[in-house]
Amino acid sequence: MPRPTDPPAARPAVPGPAQPPDEVLTRRAALGDKEAFAAIVGRHGPALYRYAYRLLDDPSGIEDVLQDTCLDAWRGLPRFRGDSSLRTWLFTLTRHRVHTLRPRFSPSASRPHVDIDDAVNQVPAPHADPAQHNIDSSLLQALDAALRLLPVRQRSAWILKEIEDLSYAEIATVLAVTADSVRGLLERARASLAHSMKEWR
Amino acid sequence: MSDFQDTNDPLARATQLLRQHTDAGWTVMSANILARALRAFRPSNPVRGRHDHGDFFIASDVLVARVREAVDAVPQAAATKITCTTNQRRELDRVTIQIVAAYGAHLVTLGEHLHAATVATLTDLLGDLAPDRAEVHTHVHVGDVSDDPRDVLR
Repeated sequence: MPRPTDPPAARPAVPGPAQPPDEVLTRRAALGDKEAFAAIVGRHGPALYRYAYRLLDDPSGIEDVLQDTCLDAWRGLPRFRGDSSLRTWLFTLTRHRVHTLRPRFSPSASRPHVDIDDAVNQVPAPHADPAQHNIDSSLLQALDAALRLLPVRQRSAWILKEIEDLSYAEIATVLAVTADSVRGLLERARASLAHSMKEWR
Repeated sequence: MSDFQDTNDPLARATQLLRQHTDAGWTVMSANILARALRAFRPSNPVRGRHDHGDFFIASDVLVARVREAVDAVPQAAATKITCTTNQRRELDRVTIQIVAAYGAHLVTLGEHLHAATVATLTDLLGDLAPDRAEVHTHVHVGDVSDDPRDVLR
């Protein structure tokens, strides 16, 4: 349960009072309602992009990933039974598509294929003159660079929890691991990110 | 969720920013992605229809979509599930439509409207191979109750 002092997590996915909830859109889209599917993509697309973009070591594949994810969703909706929320299902489809695209560089395939020097260089210098930079943009850039230093499962778990506010159980579903594994992944991700970003203080 | 009360914490601040961030790339590509997805066909069985010039086939997916449109056009009702089965000759054997109805709607009357709308749509789609009106049965069974009016509103 979020504390009152917690800032709101990313919630473009929450429908307004007059908008149909996900369950209704899912039902309609499953029966071939293209407008309902467009509403689903409009509602959840930004989060799927945010997630996929940061999982991919080479973001040039992002359009293919999201295209295939949307195709999977459109074709799969008639068989979607609602065992998980629509949002969890969409993140799962996205992760599978990212996984398909990611080349396997090592037997474990768990480490990101990034040039560490490049990534470290993208974390803006702590002593740079803030007045010369858009601080927010630089901070986002720094976070993206720090995220790319994480193994992909840690990265995935951290984004789904801290940015998309999924529960441990939902993250476990997306990543096909146990909730305990999610806790471990998050713990390590938080520690690594805090270390990478501390230079910004 | 972590405690991000300290806005001087760069990780907390960056996390907040990312939560509110919509990547420009999505804005650029979303329309194309959606259009291409909607052009794709869903795997679907053929259903035989018949008109003056002979037999033809229509995808069951298309048939379901058209029946849904007809059902959703009936006030105070919306389709929740539509399934159709065919016989060995791929002629329509059965269509099952589950609906959600607005609270207070007269279900028997609603059933009659849905019945008429479904028969008209099937006749339009399948011609002579559409089921006769008498072959389409309506069963009223209350399976769930929802207090969300958005279930039946377009």
